[in-house]
Amino acid sequence: MDGGGEDASKVIHVKFVTKLDSPFQVPSSSVVIPSNVTRLGLSSIVNSLLTLEKHEAFDFLIDGELIRMSLEQFLLAKGISAERTLEIEYIRAVAPRKEEKPSLHDDWVSAVDGSSSRFILTGCYDGLGRIWSSPESCTHILEGHSGAISSIAFVNSEGAENVTVATAAKDRTLRLFKVDTAESGDPTTRVGAYKILRGHKASVASVAAQKYGSKICSGSWDCTINLWDTDEATSELSVAGKRRKGNNQAEETQLEGEAESTFVGHTQCVSSVVWPEHDVIYSCSWDHSVRRWDVPTGKESLNLFCGKALNTVDVGGEGSALVAAGGSDPILRVWDPRKPGTSAPVFQFASHASWISACKWHKSSWFHLLSASYDGKIMLWDLRTAWPLSVIDTHKDKVLCADWWKGDSVVSGGADSNLRISSGISIS
Amino acid sequence: MTKKKSEAANEDQTRDTKKKSVSAVKSSQKEKPVLAKQVKSSKEEEDLLLDSATDSDYDGDSLSGSLNSDDFDSDVFDSEDDASQKETEGGDKDSSEDELELHGNEDSDDDDEGEQVDSENDEEDGSDEEREVAEESDSSEDEVAPRNTVGDVPLEWYKDEKHIGYDITGKKITKKEKQDKLDSFLANMDDSKNWRKIYDEYNDEEVELTKEESKLIRRMLKGEAPHADFDPYAPYVDWFKWDDAIHPLSSAPEPKRRFIPSKWEAKKVVKYVRAIRKGLIKFDKPEEEPNVYLLWGDDSASDQKSKHLTYIPPPKLKLPGHEESYNPSLEYIPTEEEKAAYELMYEEDRPKFIPKRFTSLRSIPAYENALKESFDRCLDLYLCPRVRKKRINIDPESLKPKLPSRKDLRPYPNSCYLEYKGHTGAVTSVSPDCSGQWIASGSADGSVRIWEVETGRCLKVWQFKEAVKCVAWNPLPDFPILAVAIGQDLVILNTELGTDEEQQKIEELLRLGTLPEQDEAVAAIVSWLPDETYGGIKIKHFKNISYVDWHPRGDYLSAVMSAGETRGVVIHQLSMHKTQRLPIKMRGLPVCTLFHPTHRGMFIIATKKNVRVFNLQKRELAIKKLETGLREISSMAIHPGGDNLIVGSKEGKMCWFDMDLSSKPYKTLKNHPKDITNVAFHRSYPLFASCSEDSTAYVFHGKVYSDLNENPLIVPLEILRGHSTSSNRGVLDCKFHPRQPWLFTAGADSVIKLYCH
Repeated sequence: MDGGGEDASKVIHVKFVTKLDSPFQVPSSSVVIPSNVTRLGLSSIVNSLLTLEKHEAFDFLIDGELIRMSLEQFLLAKGISAERTLEIEYIRAVAPRKEEKPSLHDDWVSAVDGSSSRFILTGCYDGLGRIWSSPESCTHILEGHSGAISSIAFVNSEGAENVTVATAAKDRTLRLFKVDTAESGDPTTRVGAYKILRGHKASVASVAAQKYGSKICSGSWDCTINLWDTDEATSELSVAGKRRKGNNQAEETQLEGEAESTFVGHTQCVSSVVWPEHDVIYSCSWDHSVRRWDVPTGKESLNLFCGKALNTVDVGGEGSALVAAGGSDPILRVWDPRKPGTSAPVFQFASHASWISACKWHKSSWFHLLSASYDGKIMLWDLRTAWPLSVIDTHKDKVLCADWWKGDSVVSGGADSNLRISSGISIS
Repeated sequence: MTKKKSEAANEDQTRDTKKKSVSAVKSSQKEKPVLAKQVKSSKEEEDLLLDSATDSDYDGDSLSGSLNSDDFDSDVFDSEDDASQKETEGGDKDSSEDELELHGNEDSDDDDEGEQVDSENDEEDGSDEEREVAEESDSSEDEVAPRNTVGDVPLEWYKDEKHIGYDITGKKITKKEKQDKLDSFLANMDDSKNWRKIYDEYNDEEVELTKEESKLIRRMLKGEAPHADFDPYAPYVDWFKWDDAIHPLSSAPEPKRRFIPSKWEAKKVVKYVRAIRKGLIKFDKPEEEPNVYLLWGDDSASDQKSKHLTYIPPPKLKLPGHEESYNPSLEYIPTEEEKAAYELMYEEDRPKFIPKRFTSLRSIPAYENALKESFDRCLDLYLCPRVRKKRINIDPESLKPKLPSRKDLRPYPNSCYLEYKGHTGAVTSVSPDCSGQWIASGSADGSVRIWEVETGRCLKVWQFKEAVKCVAWNPLPDFPILAVAIGQDLVILNTELGTDEEQQKIEELLRLGTLPEQDEAVAAIVSWLPDETYGGIKIKHFKNISYVDWHPRGDYLSAVMSAGETRGVVIHQLSMHKTQRLPIKMRGLPVCTLFHPTHRGMFIIATKKNVRVFNLQKRELAIKKLETGLREISSMAIHPGGDNLIVGSKEGKMCWFDMDLSSKPYKTLKNHPKDITNVAFHRSYPLFASCSEDSTAYVFHGKVYSDLNENPLIVPLEILRGHSTSSNRGVLDCKFHPRQPWLFTAGADSVIKLYCH
């Protein structure tokens, strides 16, 4: 019984299955493979079975869990018998395959929104919002803010010719812009705000728009969440006479709006708000809590305590119910509020080295989310493994914002004043 | 019995009667010779008479001598006799006659029973006989003076002499010629009265007992009273007077309890019986342990030797093995290579004993190290007295104070995630604004910067010509202005971070219109000027400003000029554009000042040695003086509750004062090897920190209880490292985030770091 014999004896019968389409389907017969292969070995085996001309990276799932060690270790750790034929599902690896050219800004890129498939919105510390139809081609510049833009959001992105954009800035105001997407944008058109929303007493940290509605909400350093109406007509009626005094003559034509309602409850800066459903707003704050607000009543319906100051929150995943939040430590936490009686996070991802500045769920996948951190890295996560799927470290400084775009790209902005787009991420 | 009673009762009476008794005796003496005539020869009697008549003194002496040979009883008896004489005069003569008779009988009796009775007396004591005689013959008997006057000497002395003694005139009394034994026997047999004759050895004469005398003797032999008329069963006369006795004797009959067995004793016996049954009292001796011990065992524990106070057992040597044999087996003998290897070894590593082989005992040489080892041993004894080391068996863990675990005291700053980079010189001072959104910093490069805490972005820069010593953010949230100490100037900067209305207010405030008139003394040291470059106010002082502190209400601010000595602390009022000197007199060089967080008028000044608390409203001398015991104070901070103060010093010590408790430090923490540059309290979390030139910052848990009986709890939590030393300076300032448990540290390496929990 020498070592070689032992090695030969440790083989596993496996059967590769997939939900992928025809070029990536292998014959459904079982193959014998050595037990000590890793993900890379499995990937090369599948590639050899597929006989593709271009090498394709795959990820492998056994019983809904991604393999991140050798097959033998995995089976031992999970207590799966190696006697029977093992069914391994493979998916295309989630990793950016292409890095677009960076789009340079004049200052730090503090906000990005990729919810529209046609545009990317960026907010910048120079107080300007920008609309990018593709990398390196800025079609519109949204001007008017006197302070750095902290957050930017599409109000109604799809379908209509005119796109409404809301920006939140550190000058304590929010501004609403109407952008005519039909314009060629060559040269870059400058757009002024049609409406200024005043009411916050301190910097506005975050803005989120209602899905299929005309309202936006904003979180601010004055510890409140304000609800605003973006509708032109109603605002004109309500605050017809209000004009900004003094400084800027050009802005005199602008409308001004007041907060429709204010949610009070947070004790410190509300750093991020999301509006995933019609009547529900999630917010996170530096007072270490994530709260869920019921919009019609204005009452909070959930309060998750984290213990750390939180910078970002997003809701998504299975049934759009999981809450992911990151903040003043390198751990990305995911809560499941449907679980009764516990406020402990169900997942914790701790591969970052510094504060987490952004986290976003993938729009269509239940498992994938991204996180951006001050350590200059963007990490793609799958709930089915504790290791990051891939790390994007193209930024040279802190990453301040990141979002998914078109379902297969990651757009991010950071302190290196660049908007970077990593595309070719295949999420089935 | 009667005699004793009378003696006890009539002691005083005897004293009275003594004289009488003596006279009575004398009178009786006069009678006695007359009476003695009947027994003694007439010639002798005449002599006696003559003697007694002529020399009464002598007579009295002899009498007193006889009395003395008796004891006091006889004297008493005499007196009693006298008393009885008085009572019964008639019977007196009879009794004296009786006594006389007794004397005569006695003499004759002696001879008769010489061998039976007298032998005992003679052997024991020669004088016994006379004493008995004297005793028995009570009073009146001694009057018969013996013919022989030799006195109480053994008669053997005269055995070989011809005389037996001397008579009263000093003439020798010659011995009678002894009859031949046979003749005397025959004479005795013939004489029918012979059985009544007694030989008196002393007087050398024969005495014939009378009938009465023989009767008396007979009665005595029977054990009866000598006199026939003596009634032994006479009714008892109670002479004792019961009434007046101080300690009356009880005449009650014996109680019954004297005759019944004791209950207590029975109980005691039962107790013992039970104890025996239980086995508490053992009668069999414990078995003696065999007196054996382990010969080769460790004798350090042996009892016999450890009895001595300082007995230290010598170390046990290893027993010799086979290799120590003079002729060990071959396997013990090292080979040549091994021996060579030993030679190469260090002397300490070399084996102490290398086995050698000798064919016979004769060939074993003398032990080569004998001299050296005995010398070493002597050295050991001389230089290393063996002393028992007293090792205290204490778990070192138990000596640690019981402090709560660090885990339970979370959150506290422990890791650095954010850095604020941009300064080109050492950052000397930081100050976060009260919302925690921004932080201002001043640097040695002359710039003042405002940073966004969240992202680390520098929002604003002001450049000055001189190094910035201190920056302080106004504590009011709607009043975002900065006080900056640059050289001799205190500059009030508008940060332009407030809302429009706030900005208007600030601009109004910072516009210097007509200045109110200052005191002359104040005007000499301070002047208010507009700041042209940045549109604020510049307050020019006469000395370099080292420290600036705002009043919690945001209107007053104090500036410290260390070189200003007594004029070193001034208080500016921003709303009035006015400056006040301290109304109190100060001693020492001021280092830093603090406005009390809760009590409005209280003002705390730290000089180089001490900390004094003043009340500005009352203009008194110091309310309190805290004795730090530190060499040079560098900084201080006050707990938001207002009762606790920490003081950092340049020798790296930090003192915690509980100002309610005492003026001495409650605790002194010595952590930093170098100067402490600053100390800070957290506004809401129970945390405090110190930063030092050794480029570290320490974070402590400092909980102040609302219960006044409980002392503050101080637990060191974390050492924050990360700053690098630049031109021998480390961390120059530390401040807590106002709302989060985070700590900002400003380093001489021109970086500000934020340590988060």
